Amino acid sequence: MSEILKLENINYSYIDGGYQRVILKDLSYTFEEGKFYTILGPSGSGKTTLLSIIAGLDSANSGNIYFKGESLDKIGLYKYRRNDISIVFQQYNLINYLTAVENVLLAMSETDNELPKDQKAVAYNLLERFGIVKTKADRMINQLSGGEQQRVAIARSLASNVNLIFADEPTGNLDTATEKEIIAIFKELAHEYGKTIIVVTHSDAVSEMSDQRLILKDGALFEDKQ
Amino acid sequence: MNFLNRAFKNVTRKFSKTILLTLTFFLIGNLVIVGLGISKASENAKVLTRKKMRAVVTYQLDYDEIYEYAMSLTDEDELSQFYENYPRINLSNVAELLNDERVKTANSIYNTLSYGGNIDYVHLGNRAEESSGTGESCMMDENGNEYCETYRSPQFFLKGNMFPSMIEFEDDEYNIVKGRFYTQEEINEGNFVCLVSEALANQNNLSVGDSINLLASDYGTSYLEQIGASEEDYKNDYEIIGIFSHNKPITPDSSNYDWISPYENLDNMILMPSTTIYLSSLTIQQKEFDYYASLEDMHDTGYYSNPENRPSRDNMFKNMYIDNAVLLLSDPLDVDKFVEDYSESLPQFTMLDANNDEFNRLAKPLDTLSMYANFIVRLVVINAIVIITLVTALTLKNREYEIGVLLSVGASKFKIISQFFVELALVAILGFSLAVGSGSLIAKRIGYTVLEYQISESDVQDDGGKYYYGYSIWDEDYTNDLTIDDLISEYEVSVSAAIILEIYILGLGIVFVSVIIPSFMIMRYNPKKILMNQN
Ligand SMILES: Nc1ncnc2c1ncn2[C@@H]1O[C@H](COP(=O)(O)OP(=O)(O)OP(=O)(O)O)[C@@H](O)[C@H]1O
Ligand SMILES: [Mg+2]
Repeated sequence: MSEILKLENINYSYIDGGYQRVILKDLSYTFEEGKFYTILGPSGSGKTTLLSIIAGLDSANSGNIYFKGESLDKIGLYKYRRNDISIVFQQYNLINYLTAVENVLLAMSETDNELPKDQKAVAYNLLERFGIVKTKADRMINQLSGGEQQRVAIARSLASNVNLIFADEPTGNLDTATEKEIIAIFKELAHEYGKTIIVVTHSDAVSEMSDQRLILKDGALFEDKQ
Repeated sequence: MNFLNRAFKNVTRKFSKTILLTLTFFLIGNLVIVGLGISKASENAKVLTRKKMRAVVTYQLDYDEIYEYAMSLTDEDELSQFYENYPRINLSNVAELLNDERVKTANSIYNTLSYGGNIDYVHLGNRAEESSGTGESCMMDENGNEYCETYRSPQFFLKGNMFPSMIEFEDDEYNIVKGRFYTQEEINEGNFVCLVSEALANQNNLSVGDSINLLASDYGTSYLEQIGASEEDYKNDYEIIGIFSHNKPITPDSSNYDWISPYENLDNMILMPSTTIYLSSLTIQQKEFDYYASLEDMHDTGYYSNPENRPSRDNMFKNMYIDNAVLLLSDPLDVDKFVEDYSESLPQFTMLDANNDEFNRLAKPLDTLSMYANFIVRLVVINAIVIITLVTALTLKNREYEIGVLLSVGASKFKIISQFFVELALVAILGFSLAVGSGSLIAKRIGYTVLEYQISESDVQDDGGKYYYGYSIWDEDYTNDLTIDDLISEYEVSVSAAIILEIYILGLGIVFVSVIIPSFMIMRYNPKKILMNQN
């Protein structure tokens, strides 16, 4: 399998009360295409910090990140976010004065990636694939359940036609049944559509379904032999 | 779902926020419209009144400056020297001003009375005419000898200009009916040419090309004898080169009708170059000079002993005393600027007077009103900026997740700021549009009330401007008579398209300034926050 994202000696620390707190220390790892990864680790170990760095929302103090061999510095963080990746948050993924389908269209209007002509039809189809029928797709998002909202967020993450999808505890607010559904979708995306999925989670149920479990410990990533 | 679309959705779907902001902009808009409406009405009234006034600027001696200078001279000799070479208006300076393209023409008037000639004047048949005429009055001298003097009443007014046109012609007060006006060359040469009124021409069967004979002055017979001169020395032929009409007919209901002398009737005004008027009596003046020069006791004054002082063609410009030139500009609104442009470069002891003291005095209530109105507009705009900035900054807190989401899908911060700007702009346009209707009503209602108050507070009503003493041909006043009513009649509070455009621009300006601080907040926003704040 070919590599999609390569982390090289990532360091991240911050100053707190005069002391330097190191969160990520010489972290290196290479993610491969078409795989579903989960990242586990104790609370406060820096999972969200790592995700924000590899998703282009923050910058490391030092180290390099390569997307398909090209460094993020060269690509530019805005362009990287627009064209190469998608992020699914735990909650507040959606803009509340837009309907579900409009939220999906939002990602399509920002990306430079080539998209089908009839964006609206594509958006409805995407949503329908994740169980959001047209009548629901036209609702304002506060009229959707938490699980439905998360599925809209996943639909949006696919809408801009990217290969790398990040999620930070995407099922943290959902019941176990819904959690299972969402994870099944991720797995399908990785295996059927060749997307690379990187999910930060506390849930064993989630991590058990992933292709590769990673543990963040002492500022570095370790592969967990399952 | 681009940012314009998002802005539109936000405005239409976040209904209560939109209503509140629209209301805010509506209130701001009303105040701004009232302020602008009143201030524009005041300015317009001034401009319109100014436009109706004649655009005349007077080039004249600056008597204040002359007085101050004379006062500063302590040496007697210096002082008398100064008075001997008293400052004067130099025609070449006037000619320079005439070169300015804003100037249409200038009147630099030199005139005299004519006591008759070979034509009959236009009669009014009023009481002044009955008591005027030609006659003889006889008196006894101390030796008991009777001596008689003929007396004459002036019949014609000879009016001369130094320039080949006149304000009255440019302003269509006079019009050439036949022939032409005199040229600069004729002025320089002092050619004996003239223009007569249509009425005078009709009465005497005169046409262009004819000549008339006029006495250019009046001397008693015994005095003439004494200095060895005769009437012939100031009697001249003038060729008629033009016939003019005028729009100031004298009718029985003209003020002071009974006592208007023949020469005061414009029908009996004869126009010719100033130099011609001077030359008309040159011979008699020379004879007079020669006579006094021959008298021993006159030599004390020194004046008559200096041959240079003898009147002649060569020194005629020096001898013709002209103390002002009235310039007519094409546009009344240029007057102040024109005066300002030249006030620095004018020769010492001369000045330009915009003739607008009266206008400025009357316009004072309007100025005050306009000042207050502008002040209110400024105050409201500043308040509006503060309020809208605060509201935007506060709502930004609620929209942090939205900003995070937009950043996570790769939207630029500039686009996010633009969206916020457009949202506010839409609401501002909505609020201001609603305010146009109500604001203009309020402006009308308040506008007249405050003007009335301003006028009652000022002294402009106490005297109705200049008093009208009747027509004076000697001291021509080129400015119009103005009253406060002239200004008030032009004062109209209305919300014009220009004001509407202005408030929209102002509204967008308010929005623009109001998003500056929120923009900084957005620029500083760290997108990582959206991930950290989830739990
Ligand atoms: N830039 C920063 N400034 C200050 N503190 C920071 C910064 N970045 C991270 N931290 C702190 O570092 C620690 C690690 O945070 P992070 O959110 O990455 O942990 P986590 O593994 O995601 O924890 P959790 O499982 O609870 O979500 C936290 O205590 C966080 O407050
Ligand atoms: Mg976390």
